[in-house]
Amino acid sequence: MTREEIIKSCLIFATGLFLMAFTLGPFIWMIWISLADRADFLVTGQVEYSLSNYRQVLTAHSLHFLDYLSNSLWISTITAIIVTLFSSMAAYAVSRMRFPGRSVVPLLILAMSMFPQISIVGYLFEMFSKAGLINSHMALILPYIAWTIPIALWINMSYFTQIPLDLDKAALVDGAGRMKVLYKIIFPLALPGIFSSALLVFIACFNEFLFAIMLTIDYTAQTLPVGIALFQGLHGEIPWGNLMAASAIASVPLVILTLIFQRYIVAGLMGGAVKG
Amino acid sequence: MQATKITIKSLAKSFITFRGKVDVLKSIDLTIEPGEFFVLLGPSGCGKSTLLNLLAGLEKPSGGELYFDQELVADAVGKFSGPFERDISMVFQSYALYPHMTVEENIAFPLTNLPQVPTSDVMRTKVKEAATLLQIDHLLDRKPAELSGGQRQRVAIGRAIVRNPKVCLMDEPLSNLDAKLRNEMRAHLKDLQKRLGVTTVYVTHDQLEAMTLGHRIAIMNNGVLQQVGTPVEIYRAPVNQFVARFIGSPTMNMLSGELNEEAGNLYLQADALKIRLPAETAGRLKARNLKKVTLGVRPERLYVKSEGEPDLALPVNVIENVGPEYLVYSFHQQGQIVVRTPDEPTGDRLDLSLDAGHLHLFDEQGARINL
Repeated sequence: MTREEIIKSCLIFATGLFLMAFTLGPFIWMIWISLADRADFLVTGQVEYSLSNYRQVLTAHSLHFLDYLSNSLWISTITAIIVTLFSSMAAYAVSRMRFPGRSVVPLLILAMSMFPQISIVGYLFEMFSKAGLINSHMALILPYIAWTIPIALWINMSYFTQIPLDLDKAALVDGAGRMKVLYKIIFPLALPGIFSSALLVFIACFNEFLFAIMLTIDYTAQTLPVGIALFQGLHGEIPWGNLMAASAIASVPLVILTLIFQRYIVAGLMGGAVKG
Repeated sequence: MQATKITIKSLAKSFITFRGKVDVLKSIDLTIEPGEFFVLLGPSGCGKSTLLNLLAGLEKPSGGELYFDQELVADAVGKFSGPFERDISMVFQSYALYPHMTVEENIAFPLTNLPQVPTSDVMRTKVKEAATLLQIDHLLDRKPAELSGGQRQRVAIGRAIVRNPKVCLMDEPLSNLDAKLRNEMRAHLKDLQKRLGVTTVYVTHDQLEAMTLGHRIAIMNNGVLQQVGTPVEIYRAPVNQFVARFIGSPTMNMLSGELNEEAGNLYLQADALKIRLPAETAGRLKARNLKKVTLGVRPERLYVKSEGEPDLALPVNVIENVGPEYLVYSFHQQGQIVVRTPDEPTGDRLDLSLDAGHLHLFDEQGARINL
């Protein structure tokens, strides 16, 4: 190795280490506190490690942790499925079919996502109150769909446009209808894009806070971020241990999902379609 | 199965773009005979692929009518049958294989879309037949990514022939292959078409492919048919300068200038170059009373003359040895003049003679003058 190479790899290593510490630091801190019996152990120096926080969070009915978790999972899953379905079909239409306004539609949809959430949440509250939807799963699923469809559409579009148009033509010539072209040829090839968009939508909904706190009232519809935030002050003091244990458990579904989907979100599925 | 005749009547296609209307095809009239290997030839952007897409049913015409045998399959008013109803198949330049399916699934795909889907046994037999014909029967379990370019092209052809279509369309199927493989596949394709007897329309920009494959060739430029004929007809009597330049390699030499009569001989003065026209040609040209013409002569029809007064004399600039013969280049104000000769020329000047039977004359608009 030359001097230059040594310096270069040192710098890369140092930067990598810094980024890792920066991102993983809070996470490790969270796990640490969740396992400790008291949050101020660094000051007092007295600490015992146990799983009691986790046990408490999972078993104490007054905390409603499992309600929040199931609300979050339901709402995020349903939103992700609906958004993926619509955004992938829209992406197919926009990337494959000729119709007036084909280039404008994606831009309009993107423009809609540029409104800050806070500017519409008041009106949403009024509308859902009238419709009797406040404090229901639908109160979150509907706005989440509108809120995440633009990003899902754009991710899917970028994948769909990479699939050669000749494949559609070939399938049409081979006698497949538009729907069959979609689910037999285009969807299997766009799977990485569809999975990434589904995952991102799921994560966005799972973490969303503003709509969730404004449009729900109690544990029957509240999601994890809101639920965990409301742990505060429940017993007059901030229950750091419970808070951190709940947060740690809340990140488990996302970690699992990412690990599962990661296999699909790999490039190289397109090999051999056309002359590369 | 009876082969299909294709009749194209005043077919036109235009696209609306931001810059206005673009006429890609302007009133094409053409008949393609049953079982014919018909080649559409032209430079890129000439509209040949659009014409193929119209035949395929992938685009709707803006004007005119299209018949398969007696059946109207598309017109500008509203009659339109899709590709499958027309019973056509297509081979794409990019192969367009389905990358997530095996070779067997790729070839079988058209069969799975038939109104009565064959049983899996019948399907397997048909796929096997097509694969054997194309010598890819040992690759049926592979995915397209594991195949070479030539093998992929064979799979694409297999997919096109497996359900015995009425018409087979090919969009530059060989242009992604390397030169050696292209020659092999060309011969293979010709043989295959002969055996199957299916009406085939083949699009290419390669004049060699067109000359060797086609029963007849249609040459297109800017959305207009320039000439339709057998390869020999087109090579021997191109109807205009565009066709003359497009067919043949190296391209036909073209020299434009004024006709002058001197001492009983007719000369073409092309800038600094003075060319004496053969007496037979001169006689006929005089009767026409033309002032300006363009003379076209193929490189192999310029004969080296060792004795007597030459019809034209060229400075020798570059000599290329291409194996069996030599190509001599002479640079001229109007471009380069190429002479094809079996013997290596000596000296820096080449004396040449012309043969009245192999001269092409074009008027100022570029159209052929028939003498």
